[in-house]
This record gives sequence, C-alpha cells and structure tokens, in this order.
Amino acid sequence: MPEMQLREAIRAAMTEEMERDETIFLMGEEVAEYNGAYKVSEGMLDKFGPKRVIDTPISENGFAGLGIGAAMNGLRPIIEFMTFNFSFVAIDQIINNAAKIRYMSGGQFKIPIVFRGPNGAAGQLAATHSTSVESIYAIFPGLKVISISNPDDAYGLLKSAIRDDDPVIFLESELMYGMKGHVDLDPERTIPIGKARIAREGEDVTIIGHNKSYWVAMEVADRLAHEGYSAEVIDPRTIRPLDFDTILASVKKTNRCVVIDESNPYASIASEIGFRLQEQAFDYLDAPVMRITAKDVPAPYAKNLIEYYMPQADDAYEACKKVMYVN
Amino acid sequence: MAIPVEMPKMSDTMEEGVLVAWLAEEGDAVSAGDVIAQVETDKATMDLEVYDDGVLLKRVIEEGDAVPIGGLIAVLGKEGEDISDILAKYQAGTAEAAASGDGAEAEAEAADAPAAPAGGDGAPAARPEPVPATAEGEGRIKASPLARRLAGEHGIDLAAVSGSGPEGRIIKRDIEALIGAPKAAPARPEPARPEPARPEPRPAEAEPLYEAVPISQMRKTIARRLAESKFTAPHFYLQVDVNVEPLVAFRRQLNELAEAQGRAKVSFNDLITKACALALRQHPQVNASYLEKEGEIRQYKAVHVAVAVAIDEGLVTPVIRHADQKGLAQIAEETRALAEKARDRKLQPEDYTGSTFTTSNLGMFGIEEFTAIINPPNACILAIGAIRDVPVVRDGEVVPGKRMKLTLSCDHRIVDGAVGARFLATLQQYLEEPMNLLL
Repeated sequence: MPEMQLREAIRAAMTEEMERDETIFLMGEEVAEYNGAYKVSEGMLDKFGPKRVIDTPISENGFAGLGIGAAMNGLRPIIEFMTFNFSFVAIDQIINNAAKIRYMSGGQFKIPIVFRGPNGAAGQLAATHSTSVESIYAIFPGLKVISISNPDDAYGLLKSAIRDDDPVIFLESELMYGMKGHVDLDPERTIPIGKARIAREGEDVTIIGHNKSYWVAMEVADRLAHEGYSAEVIDPRTIRPLDFDTILASVKKTNRCVVIDESNPYASIASEIGFRLQEQAFDYLDAPVMRITAKDVPAPYAKNLIEYYMPQADDAYEACKKVMYVN
Repeated sequence: MAIPVEMPKMSDTMEEGVLVAWLAEEGDAVSAGDVIAQVETDKATMDLEVYDDGVLLKRVIEEGDAVPIGGLIAVLGKEGEDISDILAKYQAGTAEAAASGDGAEAEAEAADAPAAPAGGDGAPAARPEPVPATAEGEGRIKASPLARRLAGEHGIDLAAVSGSGPEGRIIKRDIEALIGAPKAAPARPEPARPEPARPEPRPAEAEPLYEAVPISQMRKTIARRLAESKFTAPHFYLQVDVNVEPLVAFRRQLNELAEAQGRAKVSFNDLITKACALALRQHPQVNASYLEKEGEIRQYKAVHVAVAVAIDEGLVTPVIRHADQKGLAQIAEETRALAEKARDRKLQPEDYTGSTFTTSNLGMFGIEEFTAIINPPNACILAIGAIRDVPVVRDGEVVPGKRMKLTLSCDHRIVDGAVGARFLATLQQYLEEPMNLLL
C-alpha cells in the first residue's frame, strides 16, 4: 500500500473514477489552470482536458446550479468549493434543488453530484472562513454528508460518493491536505457510505470524532490508555446517513460517551448523537453523554482565541474522566 | 446581608472536607480571621477562618459531616436576619440534578437511610421489586439509568444504596459492588434475569458482625497513592547491612556537643537523612521522577528528603528541604518540629509536598528489615531497620559488632539495578565513615 497525502488520495479517487466513466467532470474555482487552490486537482487538466476539468468564475450559485442541471441531464459532476464557507452563496441550489428534486419529481430525476472541498477552521481565517457546515447540510433529507479523517477513507468514500446517484456533500480539511497515510489503491475498491469505523476498541468510554476531531479523540484515548483506561474511538466517517448501530453497540458496551465535534454546539452533530443515545441507549447510560465542540461564538481571528475556540483535547480528556467517575 | 461560609479548597488534592469540630456557637459574634471550626482534609486538620465580621447565625452542618468544596457550612449575618434565601439557594443547588457540587446532604441522608422503609420488621419481603423503590417525599434518589436498570434486575432497593457519583448519584459500580459482579453490562440486552440475588435477610437481634469505621480522608489518600505506586511502578529491592559502630560513636560525640550548646539531639534518623541527601547529590538519577504523562524524566536540582511519620490516623511524610545543604543540628530540629506538627495534624501543604526521596524507619519497633512502597513521584524509598548487636568476624576473631539493614525500593522504570546499587554504596560509605557528613 503506497503512502500518500490526503490531497493525492482525493486526486487518485477522482482520476480513477473519471477514467472509468466519461460522464464525470470536475468544476470549480482554480481547479484547472492553477491546478487547484490546494493542489488537489494538480495535473488533471493536462490529463482530461478543459471539457472535463473546468475553471469557473467566482460564482458559486451559478456553477452549483449548472452542476445540478448537468446531473439532471445524465452527467456526474464533481463541484469543488474552494472552501465550504463559499457554499453558502449557493445554498439555495444545494438545499432546494439538489436535495429535493428527486423527491419532488417523484423519482424521475436522479442528482448524482458531489460537492466537495475543505470544511471547518484552518487557523487564523476569521469568522467567515472557519465554519463547520456538516450539521447545516445534514439537516436536509435528500443530501448525504461525508466527512473524512485520513487519506484511505477519503479515497474509498469519495469513489462511493461519485458513484452514488444522490447529491453528496464531501467534507475535507485544509489542515489535513498534506497529511500522509497508506492508501489501498484499487480502482474497484470503495468504502460504503454509512459505515462508521471503530478506530480503536475499548471498554471504559466511547469517544466519537470525525475529520480533525477524530485525531483529538485518538490523542485523548492515548492519554487515557497511559492511565489504564481503555477508550473506544469511533470515526463516523459518514455524517448522514449516520451509522448509529455501531455507536449504539459501542455505548451499550462502555455505558459512557463523549462526542468531539468541531461544529458550533447548537443543533450540532454532537447534539444529534447525544439525543439519539438518550433515546435508544437510556438504560445503558451510566453517565450523561458529554460533548466537546467549537465554542458558541463566531470563529475568532486572534491566534490564542481561535485555538481556544476549537475543541480542546484537555477538555475532552476531562469529560472522559468525568463520565467514568474517576479523577 | 447574610453571608454564606463555604467549604474552601485547602489543598490541591482536596475534594471534600469533614467538619471535625465547631469552635463557635450559633449567636456568637465573630470577626474576620476568627476560627470558627476545624476541617479535616485528605492531608491535615485545618482551621476554618471567616472572612467577614458578623454573627454566626446558623451552623448548617453537624460535626462529622463531609461537605464538597463550595458546599455551605455556615451563615453569618446580623442578629435576627432572615437567612432562608441563602439556605434555599444552596438547597436548590442540591436538588437540581445537574447542579455542581453544592452540599449534598439531603441526598446523602436519603441514600444512607436504612432499607425497609415501612412494614413488619420480622420477615423481610424477599420478592424482587421490578421497579426500584424511590424514597417518598422530597428526597429524590439520583441514579444513572444503567444503575437503575441493574438494580431493578437484581432486586436491589436503590434507597439502600449509597451513590459514589457526583452528588451521591448511584452509578454502575455501586450496584456491581453490591451484586459482586466484576464487570457486568453485557453488550446485548438480556431478558431480565429470572432469579435475582435477594438482599440479605436481616438477622433478628444478632450481634453486629463488625464495626464499620468510616474511611478518613487521609486513609483514602494513602490507599490511592500507595496502590497507584505499587501497581504502576515496578519495584525491586536492594539491601545493605551497614556497620554502624562508627556512626554510634560519632553520634555520641555529636550529642555531647549538642547538649552542651542546648541544641536538639541528633538521632540516627537525622544522620541517615543527611547521608541520603549527600548521596542523592552524587546520584542525580535517583533524585528524580518518572513522569509518564508529561513524557519525561525529571532530575531535580534540589534535594528534598521526606521522612515518614506515623500518626494515629495514618502516615504523613513531612519534607526536609535542601537537606544536603543543612547541618545535622538543623536537620534534627526541623525533623522534630515537623513530626510534632504532623502528630497535631497541623502540617501545611508546603510541609509535605515536593519531596524527591523518602525514608521510612521502623527500627524503633525492633524491625530488622522491611521493604517500603515508593512514595510517588519519588524514584526510591529507603527502609531503615533496627540497629542490631551481632557477632562479627574481625581479624579472624568473633567480636561484638553493630549492624543496621537498609533496604532501598527502586522504581525500575527509572532506576536500574546498578544505579540503585551505586547509590546505596555511597550511602553506606557515608554512614560507615560519618565524618564525611560534616564535610
């Protein structure tokens, strides 16, 4: 298995799928001539030409809508947002068209489109460029939402997203594009949408984290292991449809759960998991479900404040100790 | 305006305090700085001072009650002032499920109340109750959903269980402790068990089989720290038998001088403290801590030797700071003063924290040799045995001699056999040629 960067794994998935199916094309700002704002699509213009790797003007609402129309007419677009903060300009297209046309047309139209790009905070980018959008898009039936934490999952899940006949929001991370990991390259290998990954098995507490928060979860699990506590770490990978069966089985075993989530706390992914746990695992909980999220403010700019704004490993560690009733 | 007096945080590790004695009566006028009660923490008994002038309107808790940090102890104010607001506020804090540790007496009482709330004492109803009995009235029983289910499955009355979670919440381990399950909670829901363990029937008027002694804060701390040490630090032991004839003679001379100058007598223990300090100075690897969490070994620049002191309630380890730089008389005087403070339970945190090495002496009980458990985060502890009169062979003849066994417990994560042995050899040399202690 070769080791590659996250950006290379995403590129490999797109390239292999585009070689396999010529109805697939990539469109977005700077994806072609500039080789991608984060060099995800490097070399793809040379390989596939300007009809399949297309630079757009700064007009998210326009090219998102164009992509949806293309999908309705039998193509399979991949729309790159330079960051998902910019998807807000196109949110009517995504929510009212992509998510709902299949339903409103009684199934006459499929919308096989992938919206992909980096999500969440990436250092000092200030309030308008640091939003975690997963809970926003996961609200809407008709959208699938994937958020990956490593190159291999990115590779396998992006291929599934491209092959899926429904619109998929595929969330990456600017801070993780350079992260290296082993990728099991195989044109026919995909990772199914809607399957969580148990990254680490444990008995004492379940820690759930996706995207960057997954790595916070692993750090906390390591610290707990040093003290003799075994944490089970689950990366949901798909936010919607959520693999709640895996989470439920884990919490029934450990009786305790801490969710780490970079979303703002109100109506976040953590809220959803916590709610479902009290609903479906009530008699198995030995402590309240706790969550560590971004703070409930717009993302600050100052270095110390943005660091504080993000979910803190220390807080997650304390939360785990608290739900285990140890100190 | 009435002023609440709350349980202060008196040491870093303190979580709750036990009010040992009230020193002021309700109605007494007090002023800022007055001591109104004594509080036992995990380390020591400390004075509870008030920070305001006023009249002690109410003693909210009784002697012997434990209160978490921030819990209400007393109310000060003006004579005749209405304090119901304050009491209600703290009580509300108690009643709210998620409130943060405000005095939990009401619950504690409810949880501690004996089982069998009503009905004939004679034949206890052995039939399991599918639904856990909740105490009637205001004392709601707090239990985690899992604990509630487990209790129901095993026919345990939650009113008879005292909870170890926050604010007395009954949690899984409390129920497991009662049913004796090592680690229950199967992954799959099981149908309720048909034959739940029945609560012990109460013998009619039998003698109690034991006396239940409450675990003091100090005992809890000793238990936790020593268990942690013995279970995480791999101990090994090195022993030397020291020829203490020169040390005995040396001490006699020293004490003649000390007596003449009216200074404290130097004990063998003081000599060993000094010898350890000097040896530690030469062996920085022993004067160190293995800190797994921080991912580092710390070799301390200062040498602080703790001396284990037995007191009625347990054991404390006051520290002689910079023992390598202090003279023998000073070490003797400081050790005496600290031991006295320890016995009076007056040690302050700065008196018993920050040691880099510890000694424990059972020689006075005639113990010839023993092994001690390392006092974390130290790397080693020295166990000192009694001085024995033994026959020794000198120049081919058996003559009377004096020996003392020293046993060093080492944390193998940081001190290897050779390192420990070299340290012990240096220590032995100091004790067998004690003039070096003065250099």
